[in-house]
Amino acid sequence: MIPFYRLERYEGNEALFELVLMSIVSTYAGEPLHFHAEGVRGTGKTTIMRAARDILPAIKRIKGCVYNCDPAAPHCPHHRNLSAEEIEKIGVEEIPMPFLEISHSAKVGTVAGSIDLAKLTDVSNPEASLLPGIIPQAHRGIIFVDEINRLADTSPEITDILLDVMGNKPGHIQIEEAGLPVVDVTVNVSVWAASNPDEEPGPLDEIRRQLSDRFDMVCYMGRPDSVDNISHILKKNSYSYKRIGNEENGKKNTGYRDAEENIKYQKDIAKWAETFVKTDLPDFLRNFIARLYIKYNLESIRATEALQQGAVLYSIIKRRDKVTISDVHHVIPMALKHRIDGDTLVRIINDIDGRGVKDGILSFKGKKTQKKGETAVPDYFQQDARPLKDISRSELINTEKTLTPS
Amino acid sequence: MDRQTYVDRQTNVDKAISVGNYLNLYFGQNQGIRLGDSVVVSRKAHAKMPEKRLKGQIKILLNRDAGKTYLDFVESDQVVHIDIYHKPGEINPCDVAKAVFKAVDQYFLEKDPQLQYAEDERFKIVAGYANKIFISTNQGKGTVYDLFQNIMQPISEDEEGRDHIHMLARLNQEEYYLIYVITEAAEEVVLASGAKLAKVRNIVHGNQKQAEESFAGYIKIPWKSFKGQGATPLPAKENVNQLVLKLAEKFGGVHEIDEFLESYSTNIFKRKGIEQQKKKWGDVEHYVQQLEELDLIKNTLVGKILTKKGMQLKEFIINHKCEIESEIRRNIRKVPSGGMSGFRKLGKVEKKASCVKLTNRNKTINNLDNTWAGDLAVPETIIQARKNCFLRNDDHFTVRRKDLHYYDKKSYIPVDICLLVDASGSMAGDKRQAACYLAEHLVLTGKEKVAVVTFQERDSKVVVPFTRNHQTLSKGLATITPAGLTPLAQGIVAAVNLIKSSNVRNPMLVLITDGLPNVPLWSVDAKADALEAATYIAKNNIRLIGIGVESNKSFLEKLMDKGEGVLYLVDDLNRDNLINIVRHEKKNILQTAKMA
Repeated sequence: MIPFYRLERYEGNEALFELVLMSIVSTYAGEPLHFHAEGVRGTGKTTIMRAARDILPAIKRIKGCVYNCDPAAPHCPHHRNLSAEEIEKIGVEEIPMPFLEISHSAKVGTVAGSIDLAKLTDVSNPEASLLPGIIPQAHRGIIFVDEINRLADTSPEITDILLDVMGNKPGHIQIEEAGLPVVDVTVNVSVWAASNPDEEPGPLDEIRRQLSDRFDMVCYMGRPDSVDNISHILKKNSYSYKRIGNEENGKKNTGYRDAEENIKYQKDIAKWAETFVKTDLPDFLRNFIARLYIKYNLESIRATEALQQGAVLYSIIKRRDKVTISDVHHVIPMALKHRIDGDTLVRIINDIDGRGVKDGILSFKGKKTQKKGETAVPDYFQQDARPLKDISRSELINTEKTLTPS
Repeated sequence: MDRQTYVDRQTNVDKAISVGNYLNLYFGQNQGIRLGDSVVVSRKAHAKMPEKRLKGQIKILLNRDAGKTYLDFVESDQVVHIDIYHKPGEINPCDVAKAVFKAVDQYFLEKDPQLQYAEDERFKIVAGYANKIFISTNQGKGTVYDLFQNIMQPISEDEEGRDHIHMLARLNQEEYYLIYVITEAAEEVVLASGAKLAKVRNIVHGNQKQAEESFAGYIKIPWKSFKGQGATPLPAKENVNQLVLKLAEKFGGVHEIDEFLESYSTNIFKRKGIEQQKKKWGDVEHYVQQLEELDLIKNTLVGKILTKKGMQLKEFIINHKCEIESEIRRNIRKVPSGGMSGFRKLGKVEKKASCVKLTNRNKTINNLDNTWAGDLAVPETIIQARKNCFLRNDDHFTVRRKDLHYYDKKSYIPVDICLLVDASGSMAGDKRQAACYLAEHLVLTGKEKVAVVTFQERDSKVVVPFTRNHQTLSKGLATITPAGLTPLAQGIVAAVNLIKSSNVRNPMLVLITDGLPNVPLWSVDAKADALEAATYIAKNNIRLIGIGVESNKSFLEKLMDKGEGVLYLVDDLNRDNLINIVRHEKKNILQTAKMA
C-alpha cells in the first residue's frame, strides 16, 4: 500500500485529505468528526482513508480493556467504578488509535455486541457474557464504512445503531442480548464513510436522509484531470516501483522513510489536537454562521455545529493560529452540500464572496432584466368607475360569468 | 335623524349583509367577484394581465391563496383580499385606516344602538377588527390599528399597492358583511384625495404560471475577470457545477447540453435553428438570455455565438463528463414532493403479481414449518441449542432439529415498465422532457427494466427496448423529436408486441398522451382503432395506466375501459406528476399483493 504522504494529491481529492486530517485531530482531542466521501468509482476514496491508518497516533488505555477505557476517565462496565489506585494496579498500555471497518457481512451482533459464543459453549465452564462489537471497540478511534449507501439499504438495523452513535458527541450505544443485563456505554468514534451515489441503491441522502445528515462533512471526489497526475498515480502503482522501492535523492527508500513520514504526521496530529482544545471560534464568526442558518433556513442545527468545528479544525491543519472567515468559507461546501440543494449552496457561497465590479452596485446588466418582468402599463385601466354607494344593489356583485360577454 | 337618512342607513345595513351572503356563496365556490365597478374581492392573490392586449382585466390566481402569499399563513382561506383600483394619485393609508375605523364603528353602532352606552365594549370590538385588517397603498402600509395612530411602514419597490388600495382582512364567513362597509369607506377616501376610481373591465380566474427562475442572478462564472482588489478568487467548482446541472435539468443530459451549445458554435453546419431547438427542448429563449447575461453567449453579425468563456464551459463539461453525469443522475433519483395532489385517479384494476424472494440476513426464524430448506443461521442456532441443552438436561452439547434457526426471506414485486409516449407535435418541449425524465427516474431508482415506445407521424417506434442501462436509455431518449400526428393504435400494437417478445416480469404499460388519436391503423376511424388495439393489452394480461389531460377524459375513459386499465388525469403533464403517479401505482400493486 502506498503510504499516506506519497498519495497523489490533486484538486479533486484535496478535500478528502483535509477531512482525514481534520477528523483524526478532532478524534484524538476527544470530539468526533464524521465525514462521508462520495464519488464515482476509482477516485481513490477508500485508498486514501485506509492509508490514514498508518498516520494514526497512539492512545493510552487501561491494560487489556476491549472498550478502550481512558485511564483518566474509565467508562466501561468493568472499569468505570474503579478508583485511580485500582486502575494503576491493572496498568496502562499504549495502542494505536483504533481503525475498524464495518463490512457488509456485519450484523447487529458484530457491530454492537453479542453473546460470547466461545465462552457460552466452553465445555468445562460455560458462561454467558457479552462480547462488545466493532463500535464499542473503536472507542476513541475511527470506524470506516465502505459503500454506506448499500449498508443503509440492506441493513436498516445497523443504520439505526449508527444513528444513535453519531447522533450526539459523544455518541452512545446500548448493547442488548436476551438474558443478559443491558450494557450502555458512551462511544467517541468518528465515522468515515465512502459511497458511490451512482450505483445501487443510489445516494445515501435518498435512502436514509437522517443518516446522511449525521455526517458533519461530505466531500464529492473529483477525477484527476491532468495528464501529469494520472501518470504519477500510475507510476506509484506500478508493480516494479512497489517492489524495488523508489529512489529519492539517490538514496533507496527501504520503508524507513515511510515510517519517518508517518511519525511526522503523528506528531503533528498530537500537536494540532492540543491547539484544537484551546482554540475557539471568534464571536463574530459564530454570529456569521448563525445568520446563515436563519437567512437560508438551514434545516439542521448540526450543519452549524459542523461549520464551527470544521472552520476551527481547518485553520489548525493549515497551521494558522487564528480562525478567519476564509476558513468558514472553505468548509461551507463540505458542511452543507448534503444538507441543502445546489441552488441555495451557490447562493450562500456567492453571497459572502467578494463581489467583482460587474456584480457591484454599478452593475446595470442585472437590474435591467429585473424590471423587465413587470413592465408597467401606464393606462391599464381606461374607464372611470362609479363609487359603491352610487351603484344599485343588483349591480353590486359581478362574477366572471356576468362580466364576460358571451 | 330625518326619515330619509334613516332609510338610507337601513338599506346600507342590508346592502352589506346581502353582499356578505353573496361573498360567502362565491368564495365557497372558489371564485372571486368584482364588487361594484372598481373593487375585486377574493381569497386569492390577484394579478394584472399585461400579456393580454385587453386592458383593465384582473386575473384571480386560483393557485395562490391570499393568506399564504402575502402573510405567510400555513392554512388557506383565512384571509379576504380586497383590491380597490384607482387612477394615478396619492392615497394616504392613514386616511384610509381612519375612514375604515370610523365606518366599522358607525356600522356597529347602527346595528346595535345600545352600544352607544357601552363605549368600552364598542371600542374593543372595533379595535379587534382594526388589528385584523391590513392596508397598503402607494404611500405606505400597516394594520388599521397602527395606521390609525399614524404608524406607517414604507412599501418597497415590488410590493402591491401601486395603483390600488390593497387590503387583507382576516374575517370569518359570518363577518363578510364588513367587506362592503370597509370598501365603501376606502372608496370615499380615494375620491376625497382627488383620484378617480378605475373600472375593472373583467375578472378572469386562472392559475399563475410558475415564474421561470433566473439562475443568472446568482451563479457566478469563475472565469469572469476580476478588477476589484479585495476580490477573492471564486470557488470555481460549485458555481460551474450548478450551472451545468441547471442546463442538464432543462436539456436532459450532458449530451444534449453539448448539442445545445453546438447550436451556438461557429461551425455553421452544426448549428440548429431556434425553431428546431424549441421543438426538442421547449422554451430555450429564456435560457439563451440567461447565458448571455453570464457572458457565455454573445450577439455577433453572424448571429449568437459562444464567447471565449462559453467555450471554456464547453471544455469543462467535456473534461468533467463523468462527475457531471453522476451528479445529474443523482438529481434524477430525487423523488419529488407533492404526493397525490397534482392528479386524479379514475378506475381500479387488480391483477395478480408474481414476486421475487431474497434472503434477509438480519432476521431469523425458528420454526420453518417442518421443512429443512432455507439458509441456516448458525450463531442463533448454537445459542438456542445451548439454552435447550440446559433445559433438556443433556450431558453434552447437542443440536436438535427444533434448535435450528433460519434466515428470513424478503419478497419484492418487480414491475417492468413500458412507457408509451405520444410524440406528436403537441408534446414538444416540456412535456417531452417530462416523459424522458420519468423514464430516467425509473431506471435509476428501481431494480426493474424500462422500455420506451413512441408514436408520431404515421408510425410507432421502439426508442428504447427493455433495459436497466441508463446510457442506453438516455441515448434512445435523445432521439425523440416530437412532430406530426397521433397514431395511438400503432403505438399500442408496437408496445404490446415489444412486451410480448421481451422477457419481462409483471409488465406495466404507461400511456402518456395529451391528445386524441387522429391516424387510423385498420379502418378509417382512428379512435375506434385505438379502442380495438387497447383490447390487446387486456388480452395479454398487461397492466395499463393512462396519463392524460382533463379535456380528453371521455375518450381516455373508454380506452382504459377496453384495456382494463386505470386512468390518471393531470392538470399538467409535468415530471413530478408523472413520477408521483407511477410511484402511486407501484405502491398499489404492492399493497394488493400483500392483501392477497
